[in-house]
Amino acid sequence: MIDFAVFSITIIAVWSVLAISLHLQFGLTGLVNFGQVLPFAVGAYGTAFAAAHGLPAWAGAGIGVTLAPLLGLLVILPASRLAQDYWALVTLGAGEIFRLTMLNVPVIAGGDEGTSVYRFQNADLAMVLALTLLLVTLLFARRVGASPLGRMLRVLREDEVLAATLGRNPFRLQRMVTAASWVMAAAAGVLYAHVTGYISPSSFTVLETFVIWTAVVLGGPSTITGVLLGTVIVQLTSVSTRFVAQWSGLPSDLVANLRLGAYGLVLILVFLYRPQGLIPERKLRYDADRL
Amino acid sequence: MLQILINTLIYSGEIGIIAVGVALSYSVLRFANFAHIQFAVVGAYLAFTLNQFLHCPLVLAVILAAVLTGGIAVTVDALVFSRLRDVTPEGKMIVSWGVALLLRSTMGAIFGSSSRVFGLEPASLQIGDAFFTSLDVVVVVVAILAMILLHFLLYSTRLGTALRALASNADLAATRGIPARRMVSLMWFICGAYAAIGGSLFALESQLAPNMDLIILLPVFASVTLGGLSNVFGAALGALGLSLAQNLLIGVDFGSWFSANSWSVPTQFRDFIAVGAMVIILLLRPYLARRRRAV
Repeated sequence: MIDFAVFSITIIAVWSVLAISLHLQFGLTGLVNFGQVLPFAVGAYGTAFAAAHGLPAWAGAGIGVTLAPLLGLLVILPASRLAQDYWALVTLGAGEIFRLTMLNVPVIAGGDEGTSVYRFQNADLAMVLALTLLLVTLLFARRVGASPLGRMLRVLREDEVLAATLGRNPFRLQRMVTAASWVMAAAAGVLYAHVTGYISPSSFTVLETFVIWTAVVLGGPSTITGVLLGTVIVQLTSVSTRFVAQWSGLPSDLVANLRLGAYGLVLILVFLYRPQGLIPERKLRYDADRL
Repeated sequence: MLQILINTLIYSGEIGIIAVGVALSYSVLRFANFAHIQFAVVGAYLAFTLNQFLHCPLVLAVILAAVLTGGIAVTVDALVFSRLRDVTPEGKMIVSWGVALLLRSTMGAIFGSSSRVFGLEPASLQIGDAFFTSLDVVVVVVAILAMILLHFLLYSTRLGTALRALASNADLAATRGIPARRMVSLMWFICGAYAAIGGSLFALESQLAPNMDLIILLPVFASVTLGGLSNVFGAALGALGLSLAQNLLIGVDFGSWFSANSWSVPTQFRDFIAVGAMVIILLLRPYLARRRRAV
């Protein structure tokens, strides 16, 4: 039972980092990233690449964490100056292309069969590391959200033209946010690889992106507490799927499908009945006299 | 070369029928509907069920599946999208993924994740040194007929005129007495039906599995982007262009250009061309738009 709790906390912490990364992009800046799984996969595959080619683990982490923001900047290049629809399409395409490359080029990290990587023998250590990473990203995101930069990102989210008239370059801000949040997601990917000990393309499909989206939309994309709450709810249902399958005697395939369907339903219902999420963003008021 | 052209026609037929629906719904409601891909999968599964379990003749099964999927699309709109007309386009895109997940998991829960085949045995035909099957002929003929029918519907009937009016200026159309709600329902019906036909053709040519959505997702959205998102026949032409590019790249023996060994791009890489084409168009788009404005 303790083992399971430790494992759950580790997994929730890893996915919380992904959710905070999406919070910075979508909740704060308004970037609709439908390829959130891409930086996560890049981090994980940096590790897998290192393991498959006999490089040390820190090199793998380095590859993942450096490559992800660079890819992010590359992906945002065609999408800047365009409506959010296109950014969504391009990120979606980029994520799928990365997965297909890993699937079809076995030289990189084993192709369809995947690669085994070093797995943390000590589950407590994994949990502590995951929680540390979560704490760092949390503090960073809070810091950004409360800063003048965070205010400007919110302006950008609401009105790109307004941000430009205030003398800020919207694309520069978007690039900054993308690079920073993709580093976070890549770090989560590195950790995830070492927690599970095995990396294969099937763990990084479009559907994974929407598990993150479900958590973020459910909790409230514009608040950190919101995305954390959403992730806890979504990931608890996710890790308990195995037990539900055992307990109910239903085939695990069916239970997995029902879980995915539930996520879809949650996305729809939240938009219909509580579009701001469980924890909505409070309107910030500034008193000019007391500044 | 002839083989490449034939393969191009077959693949663009399957993808094009699905893509026109995405463009049609984008032109009227202004959001990219990712649930559309699942309409194709649902349609294919309905056709399969009608054909294999209820022993309908295949043609009737596909037609019935198209009607039923059209109905599903109208229902989805009534339950979800019609109540979110004021939400931002990004919001609608996200919701459309919610619908997609729900439809996908329903199909997965009912039919399981293993793949199924219709088990047709089409006759093989040959022109010159190009091979194809009677099924391929049917696919291409159906695709062409579907496009002609859609063109007739949109450009030669009062319904089509109303629908196009709604797409170009919804407020004005409503003021002029066009029943917007009914027109939008009609549009969803067409989208669902076309997706179901396209999905069925796709499944007939290869196989049926819940992860079919991931296979058609990129080519369909790349075709629609190539056509300019809201242009219905642009999407069909986009499918044709994309399919040609893909089949050329896969079919041409690049190895023989440089050495005696034959080497061509493996088939699994066709989606790279889809995304590549999408990115190139997006990079060029601001310039294209500026030139059009200048003219």
